[in-house]
Amino acid sequence: MAAALAVFLLYTSLAGGSTPSLRPSQLAAHSGTVSLAGVVLSPLRGDAHEGGLRFRLRDINGTGSVPVVYTGSVPDLFAVGRDVSVRGKLQDGLFVAERDSLVTKCPSKYAPDSKSKQT
Amino acid sequence: MADLGRAALVVAFGLIVYAALTGGYAAFRGRRRLLESATNALFASLGAVAVAALVLLAALVRDDFSFVYVADHTSRELPLRYAVSAFWGGQEGSLLLWLLVLTGMGSAAVALNRKLTRDVLPWTVPILGGIASFFAFMLVFVASPFATASAPADGVGLNPSLQNPYMMAHPPLLYLGYVGLTIPFAFAMAALASRRTDERWIVVTRRWTLASWAFLGFAILLGAKWAYEEVGWGGWYAWDPVENAALMPWLVATAFLHSVMVQEKKNMLRVWNVILVAGAFALSLFGTFLTRSGVINSIHSFTQSSIGAWFLGFIAVVIAASITLILVRLPLLRSPTRLESLVSREAAFLYNNLFLVALALTVLWGVVYPLVSEAVRGFAVTVGAPYFDFFAIAFGLPLVLLMGVGPLVAWRRASLRALGTSLLWPTGVALVTGAVFLAAGAGSSPAGLVGYTFASFVLAAIVLEFARGTRARRSLGDDGWLGSFAGLVGRNRRRYGGYVVHAAIVILLIGAIGIGGFGTTREPRRALAPGATMRIGAYDLTYLGSVQRRSANALEMRARFDVARDGKPLGVLSAGKNRYFAEQQTSNEVAIRSDWLRGEDLFVIVGKFNNDGSIFLKVLINPLVNLIWLAGLVFVGGSLIAMWPDAREQRRLARRFAYAPA
Repeated sequence: MAAALAVFLLYTSLAGGSTPSLRPSQLAAHSGTVSLAGVVLSPLRGDAHEGGLRFRLRDINGTGSVPVVYTGSVPDLFAVGRDVSVRGKLQDGLFVAERDSLVTKCPSKYAPDSKSKQT
Repeated sequence: MADLGRAALVVAFGLIVYAALTGGYAAFRGRRRLLESATNALFASLGAVAVAALVLLAALVRDDFSFVYVADHTSRELPLRYAVSAFWGGQEGSLLLWLLVLTGMGSAAVALNRKLTRDVLPWTVPILGGIASFFAFMLVFVASPFATASAPADGVGLNPSLQNPYMMAHPPLLYLGYVGLTIPFAFAMAALASRRTDERWIVVTRRWTLASWAFLGFAILLGAKWAYEEVGWGGWYAWDPVENAALMPWLVATAFLHSVMVQEKKNMLRVWNVILVAGAFALSLFGTFLTRSGVINSIHSFTQSSIGAWFLGFIAVVIAASITLILVRLPLLRSPTRLESLVSREAAFLYNNLFLVALALTVLWGVVYPLVSEAVRGFAVTVGAPYFDFFAIAFGLPLVLLMGVGPLVAWRRASLRALGTSLLWPTGVALVTGAVFLAAGAGSSPAGLVGYTFASFVLAAIVLEFARGTRARRSLGDDGWLGSFAGLVGRNRRRYGGYVVHAAIVILLIGAIGIGGFGTTREPRRALAPGATMRIGAYDLTYLGSVQRRSANALEMRARFDVARDGKPLGVLSAGKNRYFAEQQTSNEVAIRSDWLRGEDLFVIVGKFNNDGSIFLKVLINPLVNLIWLAGLVFVGGSLIAMWPDAREQRRLARRFAYAPA
């Protein structure tokens, strides 16, 4: 049992199965692929299927924000004011998201959270 | 009306606290009359909770928006069936459902074992009361479903993705499973507190455990079916924290169901079993907490949830109390027997337990890892599907193998030669299957090939067990083959029900490998214009154009396709999106065409409707996915066989545990 525990601890720390999950304000300190979580700010520009959808992501509880460009399918719940996360890399101040990496967070699958109600 | 609901909850809270405190005092002092009174209070609380539930149900059905809960979870246009399902669509209603099921199941379990809970396990009622007190407290003081405000003109509505028949059944079944695990836990802890550490608590709660476990398993698969059809990304399980929340207690409960057999038969693993039952219960609480609080998405959402901290506190109390009780009673739990051989049925059960618990722990670690890393390193690190897939395979394949080998190993000490002889046929079948699949090109997914080889091994072993048993019975009596078969299963329901469940797991495995290892996906980067054709596998999809339709509560946009396979027309499919008015949300409405003969699904997702009439499309071919749903039915069938009351077994147990008043 202890051996099993050790194996998976090692696996998580060494293998590429894990991704840092960051807020926009923490992004500057990391290079490489990360998962970025934040609130979608208006305006939404462009098209996710042609040329890329552009928007800003802000810290969920904060003010730091970063521009994002995303291509791929857009989840049903995506909207301004919603908490989302994308995977990608910061390139010259622009967060370039991987294709189809956009996920909307539904804090509880069963209830609209207080934030989404306000929007 | 809201006042009636509030009053009913306050009365229920009072009764439950009375049952816990008075019952505890009575159990401590051995006051039987007082314990009867506490038991009656527990029964009565069920009535009070039922009244509260009826009030909420009535408000939901009547669209009484003066109830904040109703205004937040329904709307005027919402169809009645979904207005009813909004009962468990939100936090407060879910808590009420928890309490309703808990008082209901608790009362039933106590009522059916009245003498036992009075004379032998007096701590059962106070422990059930203690657990129920927490939920009643939450409902009265923290998250009341009966908060009122001036009624808005219309409600917010129900999350559109929950407006699905599967979501009407999935949550209540899940709660039956979660809450049902309270019963074996309460009896186990009562056995410890009452110094009755024999296996009576296991025997009495066996069907409760089995039923809760079956509910939980079936609910997980219903949730998967919902995700497959409604969330519509083309898969069926995504290692989402909410999915894992139900999987973890199910895994531990599975381990428990196996290890109790060792205790019943050999009087071993007594400490291990109380640890497992406490673990399963704690994980079911943790599961409720995860689904309700959303803490896992971000440590920050923790503060937003009104019940998160309370729940976490309660889980901590439950774990601490269980550990303390187990430690205090450790001397009573020492097993008189030891493991005699590493090749024996007991040992096989032990390996099965280690793998199941290790799997549950790795899932748990994956779920809490973002929180741990955020606390330690300042930012969250999430583990994704590769992590979970790796361990599901690493621990899952040995478990599958054990499903085939375990039932063939003798108790106490098995001879390797005899074991080898009985494994001859299954091994042969497995090797032939593997070779055939390799020749057919299944080598494209090595894990899939190994999985199928193992699956055929287990299926062969199960069929062999049935055949052997039937033949043995037939040689004894003069019933025909069918009569012998029925007699075999009927007289050993637990064993052969278990085999049927094993078969269900293998069927599930075959389906999961099919969709996971041998599926096809196509997602063209260019939009598809009306009249254009897209090809995937042997299928041709010709896009005919889009239509819009207004339903009661949504605008339905549909793209229509002419589908053909190998040039043969198969008819028209329509996939698209619904835009819900009151909820101001859009939901994906995928098209699924199941081909039962070929055992594959054609799965069509419309990514986006463009203004010029073209669409973005994603199409998948999912082989064997329907076996996953079939496995759910076989699973329920096997569980029912194993659960079905057996008069002979009852008599045998009655002789074994002739109740002696304490």
